[in-house]
Amino acid sequence: MNRVKTTQSKTGEIIAYSEGAIRNNISAVEYCRTSMAAISGCAAGILGLSGTLGFLFYFLSVFVLWILVLVKSGTQWRKFFINRRNLLTNQFMGGLCTYVLFWTFLYGMAHVY
Amino acid sequence: MGSKLFNKLLLIAGFASLAHAAFSAAHHRTYLRLTEQEWNSLPLDIILQTVISLVIVIYNIIEIVGNFKEIRATVDMQQKTWDTLGNFPSFYSFNHRGRALNPGYTPPE
Amino acid sequence: MTELLIDPDIRVWVFLPIVLITFLVGIVRHYVSILISTQKKAEITQIQDSQAMIRARLLRENGKYLSAQSFSMRKNYFNNEETGYFKTQKRAPVAQNSSAMLTDMVKGNFINVLPMVVIGGWINWMFSGFVTTKVPFPLTLRFKPMLQRGVELASLDAAWVSSASWYFLNVFGLRSIYTLVLGENNHADQTQAQADAMTGAAMTMPQDPKAAFKAEWEALEITEYHNALKNIDADMLAIASAPAASS
Repeated sequence: MNRVKTTQSKTGEIIAYSEGAIRNNISAVEYCRTSMAAISGCAAGILGLSGTLGFLFYFLSVFVLWILVLVKSGTQWRKFFINRRNLLTNQFMGGLCTYVLFWTFLYGMAHVY
Repeated sequence: MGSKLFNKLLLIAGFASLAHAAFSAAHHRTYLRLTEQEWNSLPLDIILQTVISLVIVIYNIIEIVGNFKEIRATVDMQQKTWDTLGNFPSFYSFNHRGRALNPGYTPPE
Repeated sequence: MTELLIDPDIRVWVFLPIVLITFLVGIVRHYVSILISTQKKAEITQIQDSQAMIRARLLRENGKYLSAQSFSMRKNYFNNEETGYFKTQKRAPVAQNSSAMLTDMVKGNFINVLPMVVIGGWINWMFSGFVTTKVPFPLTLRFKPMLQRGVELASLDAAWVSSASWYFLNVFGLRSIYTLVLGENNHADQTQAQADAMTGAAMTMPQDPKAAFKAEWEALEITEYHNALKNIDADMLAIASAPAASS
C-alpha cells in the first residue's frame, strides 16, 4: 500500500523516488500553473481576445509555462520530474476554468464597461 | 535572499504594469465609444505593455516558487555519511559495562 | 455582435461584489469546516484489527519469500481453529459507528453544497432582470435559457449572461485559486475528493469486523506456499557470471 514509487530505467536498474520530493515539485508547478492561468486570463481580457483566439492564447500560455519549467530544470529534468508529458497536461481543465474566469472578468472590466 | 527580493519587486512592477495596461485599454475603449469609431484592436503600445508585463510576471513567479527538489530517493542520501544516516538516538543503549568506571560504583554481590 | 452599453453601476454593485462574495464565502467555508470537523478518535481495537488485516494481506502477497516454516507459523497464528487471531477475536457488532459516520456525512454536505445553493439562489433573486457581463467566446443559442435567466429577449446574443451564471463561473474558476491562497488540503474546494487521509493504519474499518475476519480467514486458508526463492542460488550465480562472461 505504501509502496515507494519506482520505475525501471533503460539500463534495467530500478530507481526509487522520494514521494515527498515528487509532491513538492508537483505542487510548485501547480502553483505556477494556477497563477499563469490567472495572469494570462487577465492579459487575454485586456487585449480583448474573443472566441477561438482566446482559447489559442490559453494553449499557448500552457505551452510557454511548460517550456519555462523545463528550462528552469535544465537538461537534468529527469532529476525532478518523472514524466514530461504529464507536466504539460496536468490540471489542464482546472487551469482552463481559472483562465476563462479571469478572461471574462478583465474583458468585462475593460471592454464592456 | 537578495535575488528573491529582486524578483518580488519585479513581480510587483509587473502587476502594476498589467493594471496600468488594463486601465489604458478601458480608457481607450471609452474614447472609441464616445467618438463612435469602430474597434478592431488596441493600439500597439498597450498590446506590447500587456504582453511584456505578462512575461515578466510569469518569469518572476517561477523564480519565486523556488528550486525543485531532487526526486531520486538515493541521491541526497549519497551525500550523507553513514554516521549521519545510521544514527538512531532512540536505540542508544546505556546499560553496558561503562558503569563500572563510575567512582561510586560498587559491584553487586 | 451587438454592442450594448452597460451602466457602470452594475460593474460596481453587481459584477465586483459577486466575485468578492464567492471568494470570501469560500475562505469562510474553509475555516468553518476546520472548526466543525471533529477529531476522529482512534479506537485501539479498530487499529489493532486493521493492522492485523494488513499483516495477513502482506503474508498472502509476499509469503513466497519466506521459508516454509516461517510461512506456516504465521498462517497458523492467524488461522488456527482454537488460537488463531481471526477465530478468537470477538468484536461487538458495531452499530454505533453508523451514527458517527452519518453525522460526518451530513456535516460534509452541509458545509459544501448548502452555501453554493443558498447563495446562488439569493444572487438569482436579488440580481435578476438585467445582463451582467459578456463572455468573450461565442455561445450557441442552446445556452440562452440557461445563462440568461430572467432576461427574456429573443434577439439578444447568447454571450450576454445574467448574474447567476457569472456566479457559477466564479465558483468554478476560483477553485484553483483557493489552492494558491490557502495551501494544499484546503476545505474550500468542495470538488476535490476529501478522501480519508488518516496517517498510518486505515481507520475506516469496515462496519462488520466479523465478516472481514471471515473473508480474510478464507483467503489465507486457501493460500498455498510457493517458494519463490527455490533456485535462488543458481539464479544469482547465473546473473553474476553472465556479465563477467559477456565482458
